Amino acid sequence: MTLTVELRRPVEGLPEALKPLRERILSNLTMLARLPAPTGREQDRVQFVLDRFLEAGLTDATTDEMGNAVGRIRGRRGNRTILVVSHLDDIVRPGIEHEIVVKADRVIGPGVSDNAMGAAVVAMLPTVLEHLNIELNSHLVLLGSILSLERGNHRGIRAFLDQYPDDIHFGVCVEGIELGRLDFFSIAMARADLICQMRNSGNQGRGYGSESALVVLNQIINRILGIPTPVRPYTVIRMGKLRAGVSYDTEPTRALLGLEIVSHDDEQVDRIVREMEAICFEMSARHAVEARLDVFFRTRAGGIPFGHRLVSTAIEVMRKLGIEPDQKHTPSEVSEMIARDIPAVTLGITHGRKHQRPKPDYVLIEPILRGVAQVVGVLLAIDAGACDGI
Amino acid sequence: MASEDWLQRRTYHHTNFWDIRWLLQQKERQGLTISLCLPTYNEEKTIGQEIVIFKAELMDRFPLLDEIAVIDSGSTDKTCQIAAEFGADVYVASEHLAEYGVHRGKGENLWKALYLLRGDLIVYVDTDIANIHPRFVYGLVGPLLVNPEVHYVKAFYDRPIAHSGQLRPTGGGRVTEILIRPLFSLFYPELTAILQPLSGEYAGRRSILEQIPYPIGYGVETAMLIDIYQRLGMEAFAQTDLDRRVHRNQDTVALGRMAFGVARVFFSRLRRDGKIHYDGELPTLMRQFEFAEGNYRLREHTIEEIERPPMIEVEAYRQKFYSEKAPSAPTHPVERQPTV
Repeated sequence: MTLTVELRRPVEGLPEALKPLRERILSNLTMLARLPAPTGREQDRVQFVLDRFLEAGLTDATTDEMGNAVGRIRGRRGNRTILVVSHLDDIVRPGIEHEIVVKADRVIGPGVSDNAMGAAVVAMLPTVLEHLNIELNSHLVLLGSILSLERGNHRGIRAFLDQYPDDIHFGVCVEGIELGRLDFFSIAMARADLICQMRNSGNQGRGYGSESALVVLNQIINRILGIPTPVRPYTVIRMGKLRAGVSYDTEPTRALLGLEIVSHDDEQVDRIVREMEAICFEMSARHAVEARLDVFFRTRAGGIPFGHRLVSTAIEVMRKLGIEPDQKHTPSEVSEMIARDIPAVTLGITHGRKHQRPKPDYVLIEPILRGVAQVVGVLLAIDAGACDGI
Repeated sequence: MASEDWLQRRTYHHTNFWDIRWLLQQKERQGLTISLCLPTYNEEKTIGQEIVIFKAELMDRFPLLDEIAVIDSGSTDKTCQIAAEFGADVYVASEHLAEYGVHRGKGENLWKALYLLRGDLIVYVDTDIANIHPRFVYGLVGPLLVNPEVHYVKAFYDRPIAHSGQLRPTGGGRVTEILIRPLFSLFYPELTAILQPLSGEYAGRRSILEQIPYPIGYGVETAMLIDIYQRLGMEAFAQTDLDRRVHRNQDTVALGRMAFGVARVFFSRLRRDGKIHYDGELPTLMRQFEFAEGNYRLREHTIEEIERPPMIEVEAYRQKFYSEKAPSAPTHPVERQPTV
């Protein structure tokens, strides 16, 4: 497989050309990672990204109506518009100090991999292009999106896409890890909290049937485990979080289960949600509790075909840089673009670890320049017309 | 009151100097060079972040700094390897000016930095700071670049202490409030306007730093203030609010040893300046007690505050920096007592 058009810069030489920017990328990474950014409170990171855009000469960099950080680099011809996006929020627990350690081979600290690394690259992209003397024909829109994770439900990018006045022709989502990641279709997903709350004591209260919220939730979990999940279409229920109780000697009055339903088929997700709601309804009546399913995040199944030239081109760019593509369908902003028929892929910047407490998050330093080169290579390819058409 | 007037005129906030591009113009207009000295001893957890941020923001982005150097006291961890990886010049203190004797201590590293670094302005920044930011340098360099009467700039800040991944909002500065400020109030009242005299971040002109002696240990910050004050008065000073500094906590026992060293340096200045008189030398033995296994145990620590002479008196230094000029004698010689 070869690129169908000649790029203005050989992709293979980009990592070497980017070496003088290594410390600046790492500086962006560490300073961004030190700014707490739970979903809905990303303002400090938004300001940081905007400052970087402004320093790089993007004079109209600003926030949009939702509060996303938006910068634009006008193309010479403006025949296409490419959106490069990275989410700014993270899921680091409030109260945890964002202490970052830079070692010789890695950067360690809460949220560095998801997604301070991705945000650092998007913040740095104007400087990267200037350093490489790359002036695109296409307009480039850079977005640091807020309200992405958990209950944010991609509200930031959705609002941006709804309100942006011009057509967007291609999208690239940048995530910190893993290098080689290539997401180009969206899986159907519902994320929900299942909350089990004891009814108030008194005449209608815990006099009959009601038990510890935790015990009732356990029974609900057992019922959920009985919900059929077909192998084809691939469907799975993941129970990821459980919270209840404050003390050994007090039965909890409230218990919460965090779960997600994933499937290649929207109908399977809809069916399972309906079944869970029915279980909640029945168990509420049987045990005198209030059990409810709060679905706060939904994505629909969809995607661009494997044969799309954006996908094949991205693979080709990766291979030129010695990156082995790993095609997945983890949730990212790419699903919002695909839902609007914008061809888009998600790319990872480096190798590392995330969300495996108590082990700390980290990203490896050595692969970063290849990861950045990969983003530049894909932009060059899109700009050269290599990804036009199916 | 003079101190209040000085506070008004000479107290800055780092945001006064946020425009690094403008600072760079001032530096170039004055033909100055600026060196950053990072004294280290087993700081592998924080040194990488400091160098990455300072190099990226203050060398690569805007070349405000002409060099970043780590002066190391013989770290046994990966401090030196990490520092070199990210582009700092790394010097092991004991390998330089060895003919003048080898000592270990922060002050020793700062003193040797005058010889090893080439800048007209020298910035000293501690390497245990978890929330390092370019302001720790430009906030200190700023007053030197905008006011030729300023020769030495001291940092002050809020000092939350990192503890088990959480932050405690108060703490730090105990030696300052319990020891230094009372002593300054008694003997050098104008210096009480320096809000955090023991802060580990400061910047100065080589022209004054080379003229003063450097205690090798805990007392170096206190000695610098008194000695520069004696030579140039309060008008030579400025201080900058750097907002928040997150650093490791030290227990009270460790601070006690620090206070002992600082007190010895302080008393040597008092005697030198004729403010107190005592015979002989002060003891070097600090006695502390610890409770273990049901008993109190005496722990004795020998804390010497050896002082390095003004660098201008060192022949190798004069050869390196003044070889084409007539070797300089100290411009304002201080009548120094034997080191204690």
